[in-house]
Amino acid sequence: MLKGAHDMGNRPAIVAAGRTKFGEHYEKEPERLIEEAWIKASGDVGLERKDLEACYLSDYFLPITNKLGLEEGFLSELTELHVPMDVVRSFSSAFSNACNAIQAGRYSLVLVGGIEKMTDRWDKIRDDLMLLEDPWSYYAGGTPEANHELMLRAYIKRYGITGENLERLYIALAQVSVKNHLNALKNEYAQFQRKITVEQVLEARKSARRPLGLYDFAPISDGATAVVLANEDIAKKLTDKPIYVLGSGSATDYLTYPAREDLTGFLVSRLAMEKALKSAGISLWDIQVLELYDQSTVMEMVSLEDLGFCERGTAWKTIFESCQDYKGYYKIGENKLFVNMNGGLKADGNPLGATGGAQIYEVFKQLRGEAGERQVKDDRPLKYGCVLELEGFGTKGYVHILGGDAR
Amino acid sequence: MSSEPIERRVSYLGDRLRGRRCQICGKEYFELRDYCGNCGRKSFGKMEDIDFFYEKGKLEICTLVNEPTNKFTKLGSYIYGIISFHNGRIRVPGRLTDKIIRNGEAVDLSSLEGREVVPRFRRRYSVEKSEIIPTISLAFTFADEYYPYQEYQIVKPSKEYDAPGIVGYGVYTSKFRIKEGSLERSVPFIDEDSITAAVEAGKLALIHSGVDNSLVGKVYVGSESNPYAVKPIASKVAQVLKLGEEDEDIQGVDAVDTEFACKAATSMFKDAASLVSYPKMGVQYAMVIGTDNSQAAPRDSPGGELDFFVGFGGCAYIFGKRDVIAELEGWYSCTSDTPDFWRRDGEPYPMHGGRFTGDPAYFKHIRKAAKKLMERLSLQPSDINYFVAHQPNVQFPVRIARELGFKEEQYLPSLQVAKFGNTYSGSSPVGLAAVLDIAKPNERILIVSYGSGAGSDAYSFITTGQIAEKRQRQKMTVRYQAENPFLEYVDYTTYRRLKLGM
Repeated sequence: MLKGAHDMGNRPAIVAAGRTKFGEHYEKEPERLIEEAWIKASGDVGLERKDLEACYLSDYFLPITNKLGLEEGFLSELTELHVPMDVVRSFSSAFSNACNAIQAGRYSLVLVGGIEKMTDRWDKIRDDLMLLEDPWSYYAGGTPEANHELMLRAYIKRYGITGENLERLYIALAQVSVKNHLNALKNEYAQFQRKITVEQVLEARKSARRPLGLYDFAPISDGATAVVLANEDIAKKLTDKPIYVLGSGSATDYLTYPAREDLTGFLVSRLAMEKALKSAGISLWDIQVLELYDQSTVMEMVSLEDLGFCERGTAWKTIFESCQDYKGYYKIGENKLFVNMNGGLKADGNPLGATGGAQIYEVFKQLRGEAGERQVKDDRPLKYGCVLELEGFGTKGYVHILGGDAR
Repeated sequence: MSSEPIERRVSYLGDRLRGRRCQICGKEYFELRDYCGNCGRKSFGKMEDIDFFYEKGKLEICTLVNEPTNKFTKLGSYIYGIISFHNGRIRVPGRLTDKIIRNGEAVDLSSLEGREVVPRFRRRYSVEKSEIIPTISLAFTFADEYYPYQEYQIVKPSKEYDAPGIVGYGVYTSKFRIKEGSLERSVPFIDEDSITAAVEAGKLALIHSGVDNSLVGKVYVGSESNPYAVKPIASKVAQVLKLGEEDEDIQGVDAVDTEFACKAATSMFKDAASLVSYPKMGVQYAMVIGTDNSQAAPRDSPGGELDFFVGFGGCAYIFGKRDVIAELEGWYSCTSDTPDFWRRDGEPYPMHGGRFTGDPAYFKHIRKAAKKLMERLSLQPSDINYFVAHQPNVQFPVRIARELGFKEEQYLPSLQVAKFGNTYSGSSPVGLAAVLDIAKPNERILIVSYGSGAGSDAYSFITTGQIAEKRQRQKMTVRYQAENPFLEYVDYTTYRRLKLGM
């Protein structure tokens, strides 16, 4: 993106965001969930369906898991809208497409929505997940959890972590989960609003007899999220506090995890972050609020390294030290980084196609100072937030950098 | 996902572990790519086929899977990880097989990481009974355990013989056993069946013979436990072992399954030997495999008597006229319509005719075939060094051997049923292999098979001077498999579960 492209009045801005509670919504049809998210978002700015010029939607595998027809079609029936609609696999991907369209001047007001309903098919969801995520690993007997555990094994091996340090690393990972559960206590939409302890996390690993246990992984969830995106001119008419999309980046990697060059992190996160920072024209440590894609505690750890906040092989130390006396943020050198304030995927929930929307929702609310009990208090005025979303097991990565008018 | 076209693609790459290497930069891929990502356009036409089916890999990292995805649940818990080949140039996912991890058993992952593994050909996962059975070689065992790593080296033949004969053989039984009284029987692991055993046996025969797989012009697979009523085992063997010349992923080989109870394989020895002797046909080698996951009803059901004797295994012989280790001296086959043992279509287990199976069936046919062949070749029992008979139990082969005038030293070396159980189509072939493992040059072996239904094939082989030199290429001897320190013994319940398979 050329610098200055934003100055043409087409800078994409989020004017409203809405979401459902994540968790099990047995009684609700998928379209009801997305309707609920949209109504919450549009209500804030007094929008009607007919104001939308296009819809950018996402779900990871809803038609596969829930045997639905073309979603654009049933959403058109529901909304009685005949505008262009597109469905992609992740919220961030839909969000990127929407941003591009607005930036290009094609549309001035669009909806970005995400939806997933996983709990209906808990009996086969892991098979479906693995087949999309990494088919060869699936054929060889892999599970969604195994890839995370292998990444951890590779990490431990590569950085030669042993003895007391290894114990600390395992505790640090447990602390990630504890911290995310703690944050979710203040999130009314979170799937899990209960405190857990390091001991519980360790105990769950012990009973699983594996490196990672129940509390290390994000759950399966139902839920929907919606964001209304407008160009700068329209945004200013709709809200006093538009949150701008300052920069974005995405990247792609091999489907087969074992075939990737680096097994200890996600190349896509690193590449997407580099692009996003460059297009936003800010530096890494300008970022204050960060939503990471913690499908597992290992993912939160390696993502801190992938995005450049921690040196390779050191994120566990940062986590361990910050969580000895957790004050609401990770302390990295002299910097404070507020990570996964909504509870992350671990506690907020992870309805795949909607998850990125919840991450953006969180940063949107934080930057507007509307996060209620969760509102972070930094020494500096809150200006910049960042969202990392992954698709598959790091096959795709998206980074969005958001910022308010304070800029 | 289980649609057939995709299944064929997955099997084609995964059964054999195929890939391509860029001849410009050396980068390797676990897929049949037409170009290299590093070198781009200039690498078109410069990608060579590689496979690591016969190679040793290294288990880089691993974890325990104790909550597998749906299709793997019958495997229980297993170790899953990343395996590298060619010094890390290629990495694939894989699970360790042949390992029973009990409930609550703790596994020290770091003690497994870094160890060498060999790919094994196995069922991939469970499917419905009506579906194609998926297979894969992304299943591994440690290279220094029951199934040792063996190099497959194609050896240029040095000598041509007048008569056709055996140029190599391979015996495969699993590392699991059930022991009841003095009888030990081999038990398949849950991802094994008669198809996987046939491939393993054929692989070991290629390794032992040093025969170029592309020169094998015909493969016969005899079995009575093919999991398919229609679909040959032989086609899988041909594809996985790349028998005959490969052209556009089709093998230039004739492959066929045969069925005649326990003599389905031995029946084809003479056909294989004749084929390689037929002038101008250009079939240099023919492979005969006997394989069975021998079936028996549970003990308390009709036909359940068999459950005390059934084993599991495959045995492969390669016939040819070059570098022969045992020349075929003569043969005699006989047949009568004697319904002593049968299995109706659609029935899972065979039935047999009780006392009827002995005298008018087994003994009568073996006696006839042995006597006729000895008569034809003017042989006395003392001219024969080793006698091999079909082995449904211990008593029958001993009784017929004695009746025919053979002494213990002539018939005991081949008597393997007490170690592996009755391996049905593989039964007398395993006995022959046990003899070939130890025979000296210029010794005569008489083998007489028996197949219910009923018939017998008698063959006389005379070993050559090359038998000793080829032995160095055979680590998986019959004795090695019978007396292995890595054998694992299972109880009756586990045995029935494993035998039923995925």
